[in-house]
Amino acid sequence: MQRKPSTYLMSAVAAVLALIAPFCMPINIATEIVIFSIFALATYLLISVAGLYSFGQAAFFGVGGYIAGYLYINTDVPLFVGLLLAALGSAVAALVVGMMSIKRIGIYFMMLTFAFNQMIFYLAYSWHSVTGGEDGLGGIRRPDITVPGVGKIDLSNHVNFYVLCAVLFVVVFAGLYQMMRSPLGLVLSAAKQNMRRTDSLGFSVYRAQLLAFVVAGAASGVAGALFAMLYRIMPIDAISWHSSGTAVFMVIIGGMSSIFGPVIGAAIFIWLQGFFSLMWARWPLLFGIFIILVVLFLKGGAIELFDRVRRLVTGARGERSAP
Amino acid sequence: MTANTYAFEARNVTKKFGANVVIEDLSIGFEPGMLHSILGPNGAGKTTLFNLLTRDLPVTSGEILLKGDTVTKLKPHQIARRGVGRSYQISSVYLDLTFQENVWLAAYRAAHGGRIGWWRRVEHYDALRAQASQLLSKLGLEQYEHTLARSVSYGDQRLLEIAVTLATRPEILLLDEPTAGLSQRETERVKTFIASIKTEYTIVMIEHKMNVVMEISDRIHVMNRGALIAAGTAAEISQNQAVHAAYFGL
Amino acid sequence: MISLLAAQLLNGLAIGMIYALTAFGLSIIKGLLNVPNFAHGAFYALGAYVCYAAMHAGMPFALALALSFIAPAVVGTIVEKLGVARLMNGPYLYQLLFLFGTALILEQLIIIVWGTVGLSVTPPEWLQGAFDLGFTYLPKYLAFNGLMAALTIAAVWLLIERTRLGSQIRAGIDKREMAQCLGIDVSRLITAGFALGTGLAGLSGGLVVPLLGANSTMGAEMLSIAFVVLVIGGLGSLYGALAAGILVGVIQSVSSVFAPSASTVLIYVAMVATLMIRPQGLFGER
Repeated sequence: MQRKPSTYLMSAVAAVLALIAPFCMPINIATEIVIFSIFALATYLLISVAGLYSFGQAAFFGVGGYIAGYLYINTDVPLFVGLLLAALGSAVAALVVGMMSIKRIGIYFMMLTFAFNQMIFYLAYSWHSVTGGEDGLGGIRRPDITVPGVGKIDLSNHVNFYVLCAVLFVVVFAGLYQMMRSPLGLVLSAAKQNMRRTDSLGFSVYRAQLLAFVVAGAASGVAGALFAMLYRIMPIDAISWHSSGTAVFMVIIGGMSSIFGPVIGAAIFIWLQGFFSLMWARWPLLFGIFIILVVLFLKGGAIELFDRVRRLVTGARGERSAP
Repeated sequence: MTANTYAFEARNVTKKFGANVVIEDLSIGFEPGMLHSILGPNGAGKTTLFNLLTRDLPVTSGEILLKGDTVTKLKPHQIARRGVGRSYQISSVYLDLTFQENVWLAAYRAAHGGRIGWWRRVEHYDALRAQASQLLSKLGLEQYEHTLARSVSYGDQRLLEIAVTLATRPEILLLDEPTAGLSQRETERVKTFIASIKTEYTIVMIEHKMNVVMEISDRIHVMNRGALIAAGTAAEISQNQAVHAAYFGL
Repeated sequence: MISLLAAQLLNGLAIGMIYALTAFGLSIIKGLLNVPNFAHGAFYALGAYVCYAAMHAGMPFALALALSFIAPAVVGTIVEKLGVARLMNGPYLYQLLFLFGTALILEQLIIIVWGTVGLSVTPPEWLQGAFDLGFTYLPKYLAFNGLMAALTIAAVWLLIERTRLGSQIRAGIDKREMAQCLGIDVSRLITAGFALGTGLAGLSGGLVVPLLGANSTMGAEMLSIAFVVLVIGGLGSLYGALAAGILVGVIQSVSSVFAPSASTVLIYVAMVATLMIRPQGLFGER
């Protein structure tokens, strides 16, 4: 087997990125990027590794966010219990949606995940008492963490909150990377290329894909929970189809050939959003144009761009050094 | 030979696609440890029969029996796990995986049943890796171990396909036109290889190339228009009138 | 009570015809492209707003309706030529995203031009008022809506089943490569099909404006409902979409008598039930 980079090495790179980030940009932006990286990584597992084009991931992001938000507002749960319950809730939601969507052939699957996303959106919209409906769920607190030996860590301190998000990011990154290098990853990759063949080899493709879907759902839920705490509000838009499209877009814009793609994609998206939304309320229009341009001219995303630039530079250097 | 000694069997099987009857009341049995060939003109229903045996297609009526057990209602991955390995008429290796990965997947499934591990890295399964390498060597493919399947010739892909099928450690091997699209030399290679493993498996082969069939088969079954018209040794078949009629329309 | 139920039933049939018409267009596009048109809802909304604008400018209703078909069809043709056609040969993810981006753009353009406040028009004079059916009233516009939708569907049916263009479209849907080998210009066919599908969506939007008004979220809502209709009707079945559309409309309207806030969610429940009981849809094949 070719030696692919070890999980330790990859996670170290991710950790370094997470370390540097707050020094290059406002800490809230860095936090948002890290949170959306988790969301994008989950989507990457589905779209790029498993070939499951899910256009409804926002449903699980939202479920996680609402569960955590609701718990932190109305109960005394410690931080990690809230996160765990959010992950569990979104995992269950993903299990249910997955069980009904995955058995269908590709296009059907896309439509179903979209439709289920809409359904969950409607549920959130109409369940005022729990979710705040159109106004979103506001007033979410960030519980303190009590670390034995260190004492209480106050998460309303932005730096502390960033560290929490960054640590979770590296953990999710490492976990997903390890999964992708496991037999499950290979089976998913095989099923993406030829589902029938993989089934007739004796693998239950359905179970493998469902597992990936649930894992992605749980990770998206964690991202949602962190997002709820970031601005202390869970907006209804986070669970809408716009948000699902964003998840897919982050994966594409980053580049689907590497696990760093979704991370880059998240960074690009948050920057774009930050930049454009200040300029214009109708910035989704620019976003739409951007998507189209990428899809038409730069299918490999940022990674392809780096590749092209690198080849240009080394190519030019090669010419210069010729006798 | 009584029915009880068949390794694999189809009994009174009919397959219809809508109003189109492709296989009609067919009963065919394969004794263990032999190389069976299925002959027949195009459209005779050979590949459809294979698909019924591997459960890729449901039967319209009739029974499929594996070592005496009824398996008619099983799903493809279930019958695969019971020891039925199959190669396809059109190459179905994973083009974007390496030779090693292709074989590894099959070997993994054979070793671990239905379980799919999700933590330990693929490279760390040393025994499986060695097994896959060995199998590739046996077929003369060791130089492609880390090459993507899409980068090699069609002939080598077909050989990879056989390696993959063998890696599932089947008891029964269904080979659907293993030499289709191969050159003379490659055909020889495959033919020799299949003959060399005859005693280790029960092999059922669909083949069009007469020389391959006649030279290495222990038993030949001839189909025409969805029915079995003759079965016997190579010598018996070459004398058979019904077979002549089917092939040459006499 | 009977009167209320009957009225809602009629409402349901009317809105169901709208769903059917929209889903019919989506089904044609899906059949040709093999990709769900994520911009379908946006074209529906576009048709609605074009109809509104035309009526606001004083044009006769018939013309406004015609424009609500033509304008989205034209835009659809451009969109198809610009992007969908170019991305035909790759993995369908890119076509999907292209359509998604298009939907975003159209949605935002609509907001830019017309704002986010809901708009409405009153139906023309000759369609105002209602027929007295005894047990309930049937608003004239509702009847017109149903009739118009039915006529359009019949016309498209004729086109598809009885003309050469139609048979070519059917060939393109069933077996694209084969159609190409037979010399059918498949790319032009796809453009025509796409324009037809988006035009139908736009026409639905135009028809719905005097009924429910136009607002900036109607596109996304309709897209999702159209997907649900296709799932319930059966993905492969062009005409299953029609029956399913009407069914969904009736479910939504009648249930709003008993549980107004749940009536939309019920549509999804119906979808789930279909998936569990008869996954290939009412008229689909396994």
